[in-house]
Amino acid sequence: MDLVQLQRQFVDYRTSLYHEGFLDEQFTQLQELQDENNPDFVVEVVSLFFEDSERLLNELARALEQQSIDYKRIDAHVHQLKGSSSSIGAQRVQKVCIAFRNYCEEQNVEGCLKCLQQVWHEYSLVKTKLESLFQLEQQILTAGGSIPM
Amino acid sequence: MLIIQTKSLFLFHLYISQLWLLFFNTMNPSNGNGSMSTASSSGAWDGRDQFPAGLRVLVVDDDPTCLMIFEKMLKACLYQVTKCNKAETALSVLREHKNEFDIVISDVHMPDMDGFELLKHITSEMDLPVILISADARKQVVMEGVTYGACDYLIKPVRIETLKNIWQHVVRKKARNTV
Repeated sequence: MDLVQLQRQFVDYRTSLYHEGFLDEQFTQLQELQDENNPDFVVEVVSLFFEDSERLLNELARALEQQSIDYKRIDAHVHQLKGSSSSIGAQRVQKVCIAFRNYCEEQNVEGCLKCLQQVWHEYSLVKTKLESLFQLEQQILTAGGSIPM
Repeated sequence: MLIIQTKSLFLFHLYISQLWLLFFNTMNPSNGNGSMSTASSSGAWDGRDQFPAGLRVLVVDDDPTCLMIFEKMLKACLYQVTKCNKAETALSVLREHKNEFDIVISDVHMPDMDGFELLKHITSEMDLPVILISADARKQVVMEGVTYGACDYLIKPVRIETLKNIWQHVVRKKARNTV
């Protein structure tokens, strides 16, 4: 694939992520923050998000396995995931977190378990998609091109 | 007759002392906040030509993703940024480096000490504007923050345009203190 095709593929892919609700305006904000002094900012912050989210999701799974469930603790974790996902623009993850918090408030274990599954699912999806996006970026840069804005 | 004269004399003295205060403050513009005069001369943020660049911000958030984004955004605003991931650390930093910060931005929900407690400490010990940030938009929580003295309460995700305006809180506070 030549450079122009790669760049077109990149733009189309990125646009689809917004259309399908995987990403929102906040992701654009992050891209705008990236500059020559910090050319890997988006990849760095997204990688941090992946690392931290997996930690939170594992903690949530553990917390929901307990005999006596600590809903306050679960709520705190979900709240943090909501904050970080909204900050990087992972809109679908953020939306599940909102529902998750409602179930926490009701102390509904079934609802919480369902949401945990959903949030893992949405998280895995956005992770895969962002990794693909970054891969396309890398291919463009390797081919000597620039990333279309 | 005597009573009226005493009252007039009192008012006269009051008037003169007000004039003197006004004169004193005009001659020493940085002295509006008592203990700040030495800090202002050594401090970074009186330079009107680069205003509001150089604003000295302390940002506190236990979430590493959010903290990294805030730092980048605040630096893009040309502010001087110090970041902390714990409220207790932030409080020690503020106590040890009094007068070296212009404003504090803090997340609300943090383990150990939360944003409200940090806010209470800061308002009682120092004269710094504090902005609270949270993903929690519930009215009662926002109300609590504002009631405890936060000069603003922002809902995550925070946009850079919002951070570009935070210097207004610093100026407003200084103006109030000078009165």
